[in-house]
Amino acid sequence: MATNPPILINEHAMRRNRLVRRLGGIGLWLNPVFSYFFLWAPILVLVLFSFNQSKSVSSFTGFTTRWYSNILNNVMGAESAFSTELMLNAFRNSLFVGTVATAIATVLGTLIALGMARGTFPGKRWLDGLLFLPVVIPEITQAISLAIFFKVVFDWFDLMSGQRIFPGFHTIIAAHVTFNISYVAIVVRARLADMNPQLEEAANDLGANPWRTFWRITFPLILPGVISGALLAFTLSLDDFVITFFTSGVGTTTLPVFVYGLLKLTVTPEVNAISTIMMLLSTLLIGISLALQGRNASRT
Amino acid sequence: MKSYDVELQDIVKDFDSGGAQIRAVDYVSVQIADGEFFALLGPSGCGKTTTLRLIAGFEQPTEGHILIRGRAMEGIPAYHRPVNTVFQDYALFPHLTVEQNIMFGLQMEGVNKREALKRAQDALEMVRLPDIGKRKPHQLSGGQQQRVALARALVKQPAVLLLDEPLGALDLKLRKSMQYELKALQRDVGITFIYVTHDQEEAITMADRIAVMNEGKMLQVGTPKEIYERPGTHFVADFIGETNFIPATLLKRENDGRGRVRLPDGSEICAALSDDLTTTSGAVTLAIRPERIGLASDVSAESATDRDLDILDAKLVDSQYIGTDTRYTLQIAEGTELVARVQNVDGRNSAAFDIGQTVKIFWHHSSTTVLDH
Repeated sequence: MATNPPILINEHAMRRNRLVRRLGGIGLWLNPVFSYFFLWAPILVLVLFSFNQSKSVSSFTGFTTRWYSNILNNVMGAESAFSTELMLNAFRNSLFVGTVATAIATVLGTLIALGMARGTFPGKRWLDGLLFLPVVIPEITQAISLAIFFKVVFDWFDLMSGQRIFPGFHTIIAAHVTFNISYVAIVVRARLADMNPQLEEAANDLGANPWRTFWRITFPLILPGVISGALLAFTLSLDDFVITFFTSGVGTTTLPVFVYGLLKLTVTPEVNAISTIMMLLSTLLIGISLALQGRNASRT
Repeated sequence: MKSYDVELQDIVKDFDSGGAQIRAVDYVSVQIADGEFFALLGPSGCGKTTTLRLIAGFEQPTEGHILIRGRAMEGIPAYHRPVNTVFQDYALFPHLTVEQNIMFGLQMEGVNKREALKRAQDALEMVRLPDIGKRKPHQLSGGQQQRVALARALVKQPAVLLLDEPLGALDLKLRKSMQYELKALQRDVGITFIYVTHDQEEAITMADRIAVMNEGKMLQVGTPKEIYERPGTHFVADFIGETNFIPATLLKRENDGRGRVRLPDGSEICAALSDDLTTTSGAVTLAIRPERIGLASDVSAESATDRDLDILDAKLVDSQYIGTDTRYTLQIAEGTELVARVQNVDGRNSAAFDIGQTVKIFWHHSSTTVLDH
């Protein structure tokens, strides 16, 4: 009878592997710490200095909410021509543009998502890809192209009718709708993809025509996606500077454009305060949007 | 004249798949009687589900006509057809409660809310789930969801209920009990059931008639007994239960539905001809079920002269004890093996024969079927 060979264990390789694993563990922990620090440190500095007693942006001397009350009470550093009224007006403009653009983009984006998910037509795959384009092309490219487009159209209209159209809310809203449609469509499509298509057949089978099937079954099921898309669109619209800057006219200053105007003079603590408020508002909206997207499509 | 609930006349359904035409249903014609439990049986991709979807109105036939209660269904959308479907994954509306799910179909008919609620509760009673009306579908077990789907379809009192592998997602034990329950329910309500399944045992135990489908064609339609005992084709014999296939040569067709065939060992026996047999002489296939083959060390002179009995010599190659039965592998000629299954009753078990021993095997003429090669 042959004896079994002894089992050999490479002790050196085992020790080495243990070391590699431990280093890997530390690396995996350090990486997010640094990444998140990198992401959030500038914003934290901004928030911190919006509560700074001194006007300096280099040293923190004490806590105050003075800059927040200054904004609301029409007081600001002597060097700037700040007016609370102008700021609130800009905020109102932002809300108006955001609301109208979101409403239009949500309807159109939802319809596109439905068409893409349910329809079969030639070139569907191409159109599907094109939907993502506004998400990936540089914002400045989109801004300039829109500005040129509006000018060309208005010039042409002037030539044909003798009437000049000037940029204003309509151009900003049209511009915001163009980029918002994509975001809404993408979010709603993801929701539709989660939905069991047999549910619509089941509704049909139980006697519901396509119209009632949509309103009783499809729409309630995609509604969280639609709301989520709308909140995302509204946030993007509220935050947008570049495209708005290139497509706005006289008297249509939105809040980001207004803040930019303040910055031209100097960075004051009030600017930090306004920025902090804007950031909190956006974060809240995106938070709701994400919470809605995360809800399980099969449960609701 | 017998009334038919559903009639399919030369139904063809082609699908366009990346430029290529795929024929899912290939000239299917069948008549299903009022109150019948009719099973569409076949492997996956055989066209059974497509046939069901054509009846439901989710797909339109490329050719042919569908009649429900004598009325042509051309151009009638799913939501106007007097049929309801139980989907494979139930397709319960996740945002509605169980009651609202069942009421949905009634409300689409214009039944008022109070009446609809009452009928929904009756329907839940019928499927023996009276207390779950307020729950959402995701709070139910698979078996409960299955019953709710059934209640939702039956509450509409359709002419025909279509069931697409309704028990497919349930575990074996639950499936068995649901089979009896479904069958009993169907007898009670008297609605025509068209039941799609790939499980031959399920079809045999539940259906009044079975249609076996393969590659879009309806190969054979008949009662479970007819399908099992008189399979028309090699495919049907193979798909339903276990079958021995023996290559044989047809020598002569008799007028009484039998024929003389020669087996690979040179012996000539008498066998029943399949109704679908087209071969008049030459190569055929003989099909025989393992449980119809008898085994003995020797046969009595009385049996040997019984002209309804075929008796052959075979070598016992292997025997396998499987609890209720013993499976014997037998060789009747070089390269031709048969499986016989003998029930383990008193005094008869695997110990009775030795491996390598030559035994007598025998069967009744009517147990064999001669099929096209």
